[in-house]
Formats: sequence, structure tokens, C-alpha cells
Amino acid sequence: MEYKQKNPDALVDMIDIHKYFGSVQVLRGIDFHVDRQEIVGLLGDNGAGKSTLIKVLTGFHTLTRGQIFFDGDGVDIASPHDARELGIETVHQDLALVPLMSIARNFWLGQEPTYKVGPFHFMDKKLMASESIHALADVGIHIRDPEETVGTMSGGERQSIAIGRAVYFGKKLLILDEPTSALSVGETQKVLDYTIAAKEKGMSVIFITHNIRHVYEVADRFTIIERGHKLGDFYKSEVTENEVADMIVTGQIPERLRLYEEVAVGD
Amino acid sequence: MMQAYLENKNEGRNIGLLVTLLMFGFTLIGALVALMVLLWWMPLGEYENILLDDFNAYEVIVIIAGVIYAVCCARTTFGLLRREQSSLRWSQWMFFIALIIGGAILLSVIIPVGLKFALLLGQNIDLRTQITEEVGGLVPTVLSIGEGLISISVLVLVLIALLALFVFIIPPLESLRRMEGIRLIVAPPRRLIQAILLVFALGIICVLIAGIYAVPLHLDKTKIRIAEDHRILAGLIFFLPAFFGYRQVRQMREESDELRRAVALTPGKFIRAELAKSPSAGAIIGFIAIFMTFTMATDLFLEPSSIASYLSNVATKGVIAIGVTYLMISGEFDLSVGSVLGVAALSFMLFMTEGAPVLGVLDPIPAALLAIFVAMVLGAVNGVLLITTRIPSFIVTLGTLLAYRAITLVAIAGGRILRYRDYHAEFPVFVISNIVFVALAVIGLALVAFTAYRVLPVLLQGAGRAWSIRRENGDFGTSGAIIRFAVFLVILLILLAIVLWLVAVFGYHIGGELVEVGYFDLFNGRVSYIGSEGDFFHLEIPRDANVRLAILWWFIFVAIFHIILTSTSFGNSIFAAGGNEGAARAQGVNVDRVKVQNFVIVAGLTGIAAIYETARNPGVDPLKGQGWELEVIAMTVIGGALLTGGYGSVVGSLLGALIFGMLQTGLVLVGIESRLFSGTVGVIIIAAVVLNTFVRGAQRN
Repeated sequence: MEYKQKNPDALVDMIDIHKYFGSVQVLRGIDFHVDRQEIVGLLGDNGAGKSTLIKVLTGFHTLTRGQIFFDGDGVDIASPHDARELGIETVHQDLALVPLMSIARNFWLGQEPTYKVGPFHFMDKKLMASESIHALADVGIHIRDPEETVGTMSGGERQSIAIGRAVYFGKKLLILDEPTSALSVGETQKVLDYTIAAKEKGMSVIFITHNIRHVYEVADRFTIIERGHKLGDFYKSEVTENEVADMIVTGQIPERLRLYEEVAVGD
Repeated sequence: MMQAYLENKNEGRNIGLLVTLLMFGFTLIGALVALMVLLWWMPLGEYENILLDDFNAYEVIVIIAGVIYAVCCARTTFGLLRREQSSLRWSQWMFFIALIIGGAILLSVIIPVGLKFALLLGQNIDLRTQITEEVGGLVPTVLSIGEGLISISVLVLVLIALLALFVFIIPPLESLRRMEGIRLIVAPPRRLIQAILLVFALGIICVLIAGIYAVPLHLDKTKIRIAEDHRILAGLIFFLPAFFGYRQVRQMREESDELRRAVALTPGKFIRAELAKSPSAGAIIGFIAIFMTFTMATDLFLEPSSIASYLSNVATKGVIAIGVTYLMISGEFDLSVGSVLGVAALSFMLFMTEGAPVLGVLDPIPAALLAIFVAMVLGAVNGVLLITTRIPSFIVTLGTLLAYRAITLVAIAGGRILRYRDYHAEFPVFVISNIVFVALAVIGLALVAFTAYRVLPVLLQGAGRAWSIRRENGDFGTSGAIIRFAVFLVILLILLAIVLWLVAVFGYHIGGELVEVGYFDLFNGRVSYIGSEGDFFHLEIPRDANVRLAILWWFIFVAIFHIILTSTSFGNSIFAAGGNEGAARAQGVNVDRVKVQNFVIVAGLTGIAAIYETARNPGVDPLKGQGWELEVIAMTVIGGALLTGGYGSVVGSLLGALIFGMLQTGLVLVGIESRLFSGTVGVIIIAAVVLNTFVRGAQRN
């Protein structure tokens, strides 16, 4: 079956995404797109399918049916490695960094700069240290010592470093998976600031959460998922925070918004 | 107080002058020691005849060190008199060095006496008969059994008192200090506690002196050092003033200037920083403690034969421990190394005697390579089983431990030993031109030069920067950058000297002379001399010293694998795979491949170890290598690797193996029954891991 891109200018356009695990239908025809330099809040109650949708995008799961367009091309994302190659970076709650390794080593993990001595490649530790300081300072994260182990840092600092890393490596799409669920108020605010910094550097961001308060401030648009279906796409100007919260809980679109929805579908 | 003194205030005057005086005293002591050794008033080391016509190495070191120490102390005294700020830091170092010297001298009494007490307690010896036998019939009037028992009971009482001191007095005191502001009525006055401590210290010294005389000097068959009472005095002369002085200068004002703080280096900061940097901090402390204990306990421990013995004993296991460390850092575990060693040794021997399946009887080097390949295949099987089945590596390798063992059991029927000599009359040799050795030495020279070229300018730059900072501040304090530069320069010169020496040794015969080398000697031969008899560079190694070539190979492997682990992206991915598998995968590290590679590395190193073992004793029995897996894991764990992955170092595994070897040899040397070896190792493992955890906790804060 041939799929056509619905949003030709979008960075990511996922069309008619189906994912079955055996007989369990987790995703049942979801359309989801992210525009360039846009922060999308992906919302839904636990078990709604938002994690599965993202795992399809990042190559952890393969599609049952549907098509993903990235940067205007139809792509087949079969592994996390493929997603990485495309420029998709995921920051997980606890999977972002290796606690026993230093900041610099974490920052460069998987793409260490090397220099050659004869046939041997050695890591350029000096460059790793200095560049990681500068790169993180660019997005407003100031670290004391690049040799400090990540395990000594707070949850928010870790998230921040992971975001800074994604920005530095020129990723196109940043996926934040429940980034704020275990953070204090102050730390949450910092992570939100870095998210905006990432957007200003030209990235698009998918912000997954079930806590609308955190995402409402920074997101441009909300996509709400309910039991494998998309409930709707809403621009921030269209909805209030409370309406979004209600939709997540009830799974119903309020009367006032039905009109927008129909227009959007008819598009 | 010292700060007040430096600021020329009245209140600190007395203490300041006292510290200055102490510093001057240490200047004199340093100069005196150097002078005494220089004038042969105080011969050091052992002389077979008292013809003092030459200095030995100990004496040269002591003279040089004494002069340097005296000069530094003199400069510090001068600095204190002129009230320079940095003289405080220098005083810290000088007192610290004196503390260590004094402590070491005291330990050289405490440890032998303590060990003898322990042995007496354990053995229930009839002292009189022991002494009688020892001196050949003459009954000395020194001691009766009753006196021995009294001194033992005194020791026990002192130990109990010490325990009580630590349990009841010191912790409450600490907690009192922390609860500033809350005045407890029952708080013991500081003076009282100091007095109690002093009494205990005096008690310990009394017991030591009593121990020196009361415990027979030549106890049983032990080779424990004879403790001399004048060492207590000598030790105290160093220790007490240094202790007082160090306490006075320890409190330093935090220097406001960030830059100067970075340059400033005090003993406490230095040690803490060095330990915090190293994953094998626990192993370093353990290594120093055990090395010191045995060195103090017996003169035999520093004999070349003993050093060679413990190095040779653990060299092959140490090679495997490198691989096990890699695997453990990547979060996995290998129980099958002993069996892999058996299979590799068997294959090596079979290929040279019965012949390989298609290739026939092989020469030693192809046979060795093929045997290592066989081992690597077994390792790959381990790894592939692990990543395909996803069952824990403990289970996988437990299975292969038994399965691989079956290979040797089946192949060598009836528990026979497969011997090389049953097939060939002579051990294999090859003939090589002398020039090859010269070429190797020249390559070594080139490597040293290259390292110098890469590192020296960087260090020099850093040292120069530190130097100019000090100049501007009118400060004579030392700095880490300058010390690093100096240490590197010294190491470089030593390396250069070794390489030049090798060139000279082999180059002596330049002219393409042919040398006959045994294959097995090349793998793990016994080194008995370097350079031929009559050469200028001839070095004879004592007859009873069992120096094996595998020691050299081991050190080379440690260096190579240390660099791979710390300085390549492969090393980085090993840490990541063990530290947080999910994060590693998310960053595009192929965790499965890293793990399989590590299993292959372990097995390959085990194969190499098997070659060494077989070359040392060219025969293979079906149970070769049994039980090695746990010893190797013990070495790795002592070396600071975390069983849960993500943490550890190759140098740690080296230290772990050395600790293992030192215990094995040292316990025999001091006459403790070898039956206690496994018990001691058990205690050491747990202590080392506790220490590692403790140090890691300290690093966090």
C-alpha cells in the first residue's frame, strides 16, 4: 500500500501507524507529525500507546502497518541505530547517561573523537573535556569539571546534559521521554528552559508526559492519544491547560473544540 | 596559630618559633643521616664482609634523599623565619615525610613483635625448649614459660583496652565535636582524653620493648625479623615532633585566589586527589599495607628470590585477570576460564605431538597461535550463548565450565599426563641473528623518544605556567604541574637507560652472530642472566630466583590493555555497556558485540596463559587450570572491579594479582602455616571490597 505524506513540510510525518503485539492492537492507525522547530507535547494516560508510538519512531519496535516520513523521505527505521543515523535523539528518564562514567565520556559516548597514531586510534581526551564544557555552556549548562562522574549529579543535571549533548551533535529531533516526572520544581524549570534552547538551535522536540503542567508552558502543539487512537491535535492557542488535562483523563473532546477537530480532519 | 605567626601577630609567636625550631631540627637530622652514611659510620643493608670499600644501592639512595631532605628543610626554615605564606605548605610536606619515616621505623618493630605474639598465641609453644634447640644445647636464662604468658596476657589486655578506647571513647568524642553549641555536662575534658591516649601509647611502647626481649628472637622456624629496641627511639625521634609539627601547620587558610589554590598541593590534598582519580584506590592501599607488613616482618621478603617467586606465581593468572577485568567492567562474568585454559593447553600440546587434524605436527609458534584461536572460539561460544539466550553469564559459563572440562577429560583418557618429552627428545629451538634483538631495542628507543615528543612539551608548558605564577606571587611553594613534569622526566630517563643498556648488551655482539633460542624459553623461560659471561653489561640473576619471562609479557599486556581500556572508544564502550546498558544502546553502542568481544578477549588471554603454563612445564594433565577461575575473579575483585559492572581498571587487576602473590609467598616466609592461606585471602577479598566501596563513597562526596 502506497502512503502519501500528509504534511509535506513536516520533519516527521507518521501516517496510519499500526502496531500489534500478537492479537493486542496497541496502535490503531495513528497519524502524527512534528513540524520543524516545533515542540510537540505527546500526551495520554498510562497505556494509551504514546511510548509504543515513540518506540516505533526510534526503531525499538517495527511497524505492523503504516509509513514514516522523515525530512520528506519515506524511511524504514528498523533499529535504534537507524533512528540515530537520521538524527533522532531520545532522552530517557533513567537511560540517558552512564552513572559511573565522567561527563566528558558520557557526552561523547558512541562517537568519541579520535586521533591516529600509526594504525591505532586513540580517544582525544583533551578535546573531549574542553568541547563538552563549551558545548554544554552553549545551551546554558555550566558544569564544574568534565571529569566528574555523572553518578554524583542530580536527576535534572543529568537530563540537562543529555539535552545539551543532543543539541551539540546537531540532531534534528529530540524526544524527551517523561523527562520531568522525578524532578523537583526548580530542576523541572531548568529542563524546560533547555528544551526551549534546543528549539532555538533549530531542533524539533517531542515531549512525552502525562503531566500537562510541565509541558503546557513550552509546547507549541499537543497531540493527545487515547487507547491506540489519536484524539486530536491542538495548538496551544486553541486550548486551555484545563481542557487538555480533561481530555487526557476523560478521553473526550470538549464540545467547544469539536469544530477545530473536524476542520483539521477535513484538511 | 601558625597563620597568626605568619601574619606577625604576637599570639602565634611561641608556636611559630617552636615549629621553626623543629624544622631546623629535621634539617640537622637529614644532614646528619646523610653524613653518617657517607662516612661509613652507619652501614646499611647487608655486608658479607665488613670491607667498606663501596656504597651499596641503599646507601646511595639514603645519602641523596638525606641531602635533598635537609636542603628542603633548610629552605622551609628560612621561609618560616621570613614568614612566607607558602612555607606552611612546605612544612606540611616536610613533616609528612618525617611522619612516614618515623612510622615506618616504628612499624618495623611493631609488626615483627606483633606477629611473634600472634604466633605464640596460636602455637602454644614451650619457649624454653625452643630456645635450647636453637642455640644448640646452651640454656639461656632469659625467659621462663611464666614470663612469656605474662607478656602475652599484657598484650591481650592492651588489645582489649584499645578496642574499648575505639568503641567507647573516640566516637562519643567525635559526636560531641559535631554538636557544637550543645554543652553536655558529662563531656570529658580534652586534656583527660589526651592523657589517656598518651598512657596507652606509652603502654604500647612498653609492651613492644617487653616483646623484643621476652619473645625468643628465633622463634620456631620462622624467619621473622629480629626487632631492635633502639628502633623505637629512632622512630619516636622522627614521629613525635613530626606529629606535633604537622598538627600545627595542618590548618591552612583557604587561599582566596582560585589559581593559587589549583597550584597549591599539600600532602592531604595530593593523596586524596590521587585516590579519588583511581578506580583501584582500595587495591593501592591494600598493596602498600601488605607490602609494608611483609617487608617489615621479614628480611627475606625483599630478597630477589622472594620477589621473583611471587611475581612468577601470579604472572600467568594475572594475564587472565586482565581479560576478566574487561569482562567484569562490561557487566559480565566468566567462570569457564579454568576449563578454557585446560583445553588451550591440551590443544597446544596435541598440535606439537600428535598433530592437528589437517595440518599435522606443528612447530611451537603455529601450534600456540592455533591453540589461542581454539580458546577464542570457546570464548566466542560463551558470548554468543549469552546474547542469544539472554540467560545470566554466571549460568552460561557455569555450564561451559563443566562442558569444556569434559573435552580435556575425554581427550586424555585415564588421567594420563601428556608430556612433550614422550614425543620429542629435545625441546624445540630456533636460531636467530643477534641483530634482531638490537633492532627490538632500537624500536623500544624509538617508542620512548616518541612518547617524550608527545608528552614532554605539554608537561613542560604546564610546569612553565605554574613556575611563572609562582614567580609573580613571590612564592616558593611547589605545584602539581612541576612535580608531574619532574616525575615524568625521571621515568623517561630510567626507561631510556634501560633501553640503552639493552642495546649495549645485545649490540656488544653485533655482527650477525647467531643465537639459539628455545621456543619454550621465549614463551616463559627462566631468566638466569642477561649478556654473556665476561661482558661489561653482564647481569647475573641469583640462582634461587625463579624469574620467568611471563612476568615481562604480563607487564606488557597490562600496559597495552590499560591503554585500550582508558584511551580508546572501545574501552569507553566497555564501561558504558556495564555501567548502563540501556544508555549505551541508546547512544549507538553495539552492546552485544562489545560483550562477545570481551568474552573472546578473556578466552584469548587465557589461551596465552595456557601457552605460558605449558612452556613452563611441558606436560598437560586433564585437570589443568581447575580452580583458577575463582582465584582470577578474586584478583579482579581485590583490584577494584565491580561485580555489577561499569567500574574497574587493568592496573587494579595487576595490583590484585600482586596482593595475591605476596600473600602466598609472604605467609610462607614469615612461617605462618600455608593452610591459613585461603582463609587470609578470603579476609583480604572482603576487606578490599569494603575498602573499595568506602573509597568510592568518599569520592562521591
